[in-house]
Amino acid sequence: MKLGFLVDLSRCMGCMACAVSCKAENDVPLNSWRLRVKYIDQGEFPEVKRHFVPLRCNHCENAPCERICPVSALHYLPNGIVNVDHNRCIGCASCMMACPYNAIYIDPITNSADKCTYCAHRIEVGMMPACVVACPTHANIFGDLDDPESEISKYLKEHKDVMVRKPELNTKPKHFYVRGSTVALDPLASERPEGYTLFTEVKFLDHIGGH
Amino acid sequence: MLGAEVTFDVALPKVVWGWLVSTNMWAKSIATGSFLLGLYFIKKYPDNDNFFRKWIPILGLIFIGITLLVTVLDLHHMFRFWKIFLFAHFTSAVTLGAWVVSGFVVILLISFWSWASGNKKLFDRFMIPGAVLAFFSTIYTAGIMGQSTAREIWIFPAEMIQMLLSAAIAGSAAYLIVMFLYNIQNESIKRELGYILLGSAFLSGLMYVGELMFAKMHSEFSYEVAKILAFGELAPFFWIGMILTFVVPMVMVGIANEKKKYEYLPMAGASAIFGLWFIKHAWLLGPQMLPLS
Repeated sequence: MKLGFLVDLSRCMGCMACAVSCKAENDVPLNSWRLRVKYIDQGEFPEVKRHFVPLRCNHCENAPCERICPVSALHYLPNGIVNVDHNRCIGCASCMMACPYNAIYIDPITNSADKCTYCAHRIEVGMMPACVVACPTHANIFGDLDDPESEISKYLKEHKDVMVRKPELNTKPKHFYVRGSTVALDPLASERPEGYTLFTEVKFLDHIGGH
Repeated sequence: MLGAEVTFDVALPKVVWGWLVSTNMWAKSIATGSFLLGLYFIKKYPDNDNFFRKWIPILGLIFIGITLLVTVLDLHHMFRFWKIFLFAHFTSAVTLGAWVVSGFVVILLISFWSWASGNKKLFDRFMIPGAVLAFFSTIYTAGIMGQSTAREIWIFPAEMIQMLLSAAIAGSAAYLIVMFLYNIQNESIKRELGYILLGSAFLSGLMYVGELMFAKMHSEFSYEVAKILAFGELAPFFWIGMILTFVVPMVMVGIANEKKKYEYLPMAGASAIFGLWFIKHAWLLGPQMLPLS
């Protein structure tokens, strides 16, 4: 079994239901996110377009975080999920330095690394990840990549425009995007000016290692 | 369609590893550099080996102590540090580094005992394993940087050479300062330390200039980092580091060794050691300035 995720970006409407359900399901503290939705505006009026991009851990087959973790706190489960053992973590933040997708954070309450686990605790009892259940447009498609009859496998077979983030890094992500674009998936393809926008204040956090 | 701009996003972490990690690399360069150069001078000048037999353990233990202190302080769970030995994951350069540095500390303690007890043969027996451990203690950080897949400008082979050159710069600079402070007069050793400082500063500086010139060839990420270092918010750190670590020492050593004005050598050493922290800090922070997602 090799569990994977696919997001059909043409279906995503940026409602944040996935992000909110993830926070509620996993008790993710304030200022930390396992799953977030980024809005990117492109173009100049009247030719404008808005991209919504849900971003979470890619559960890479060749995961840099797993490789660099000095104590195996980040480890593979037999179903391909890259899981975290909070009690093992020493908080060195090497995983945050290694992950090219910015998917890992240091939980300010436990002081340990944390990230999306594809809701491993729910999968274990036969449930879908919280974000999949909450999505009103079924933009999140989750399943076994090894099973040719699974929805995700069929979706991948039927669509030619499947993309992953930063394929050049050879991390082999098991998180795919359909109907995506470089603007949506490459962080350097859009500007990220700090300051207030229509919706929120876009900013960077201060040095998180200061403790 | 024209440009694109992020209009809604959560606050992203910027600097994950900060000044504690820069200080780790800086102090480790002094500890390992003084050890490796010390061995070289003990072998080359056996009649003047007492100075190096004394200062190898003193410099080594002080600066490896600083390295270990800042390493542990930087952990979010500093009291779980022992797990790195009990649950060691050997694909990680962090783990390998912890083991190698621990071995290096043992060698330094032996060298200290050898000097304190006057038993030279004791340290002589551990010189080869000590050199191996000092070498790997120097380069393991390059392994960590190489494994930091997200930070594309850090490439293991280049970082490894930079770490070795940093050790040569820091080691020679430290000895030049100690020789000045304790008024050790040995012209040939001073000159040679000066040339080691000059040569390693030249090569290391050249590599940084090379990165600035050619970073755009490896990836867009590297190009953006090079721009931040040269012209962005890290430019003051980067250029202070470049001038103090490379330009000033090369000029001062050149004058000192050519004109026999050896009073310039400790100034060159101080400038190099001070500047090395700045260049390490800029190089560490540079790739953390860009959004990864």
